[in-house]
Amino acid sequence: MLILSRKLGESIVIDGNIRVKIMRVDGDVVKIGIEAPASVPVHRQEVYEEIQRSNQEAMTKQTLPLPKLAGATAKPATKLDGKSDMI
Amino acid sequence: MNHADTIEMETPAAPTTNQIHLPLGILGFEQIKNYALLANPAEKPFAWLRVTENASLAFVVIDPFVILPNYQPDIPQSDVDFLELKVAGDALMLGIVTVHGQSRATMNLKGPIVINRHTHTGKQVIIANAGDYSVQHPLPLAEVAV
Repeated sequence: MLILSRKLGESIVIDGNIRVKIMRVDGDVVKIGIEAPASVPVHRQEVYEEIQRSNQEAMTKQTLPLPKLAGATAKPATKLDGKSDMI
Repeated sequence: MNHADTIEMETPAAPTTNQIHLPLGILGFEQIKNYALLANPAEKPFAWLRVTENASLAFVVIDPFVILPNYQPDIPQSDVDFLELKVAGDALMLGIVTVHGQSRATMNLKGPIVINRHTHTGKQVIIANAGDYSVQHPLPLAEVAV
């Protein structure tokens, strides 16, 4: 891992088009500003971990009986406006 | 009943199956890339995303808009490009459901599976506005008869 020291207001540049700037330091909280092209997804690591945990909990045996939705018949499934009829 | 009626009649018991390819897998299951999407009319609006290589493993999925008609997932441009989505209608969205029991089930709104309806290629997308939604959005379930 590359480790760099930065002062408040200083930045690092990644791959020429991603800029990471130290915006504020307050005790053990560091505010970081990130400028990146729209094509570069930026997320907190917790989001990845949360989704991964949720996936592991969701993976199931197919014999599982499915619960019934409340008022399931009242609201018909939205037909997404695509051409093929996948579900 | 005329001939046309007969052709258009549905067979309610017949499930539909589609092969789905997830080149990057699903977070935590990166090595599993091939799935079959099975929709059994009796189980609607739930469907199954079954692992092709191991038919006993599956995710329960649901069209998130059935539960949350005003769900507004912001799909990052990199994912739109990866999935070659041209118009909104190209995308099929599936929320992964966790069944915690007969009385509790939730769906993941932060990381829906987005599938290109034409290529059948998909990806679990972390939506750009993930902070607005939960990984465990509760589904309204019918009371379980005792």
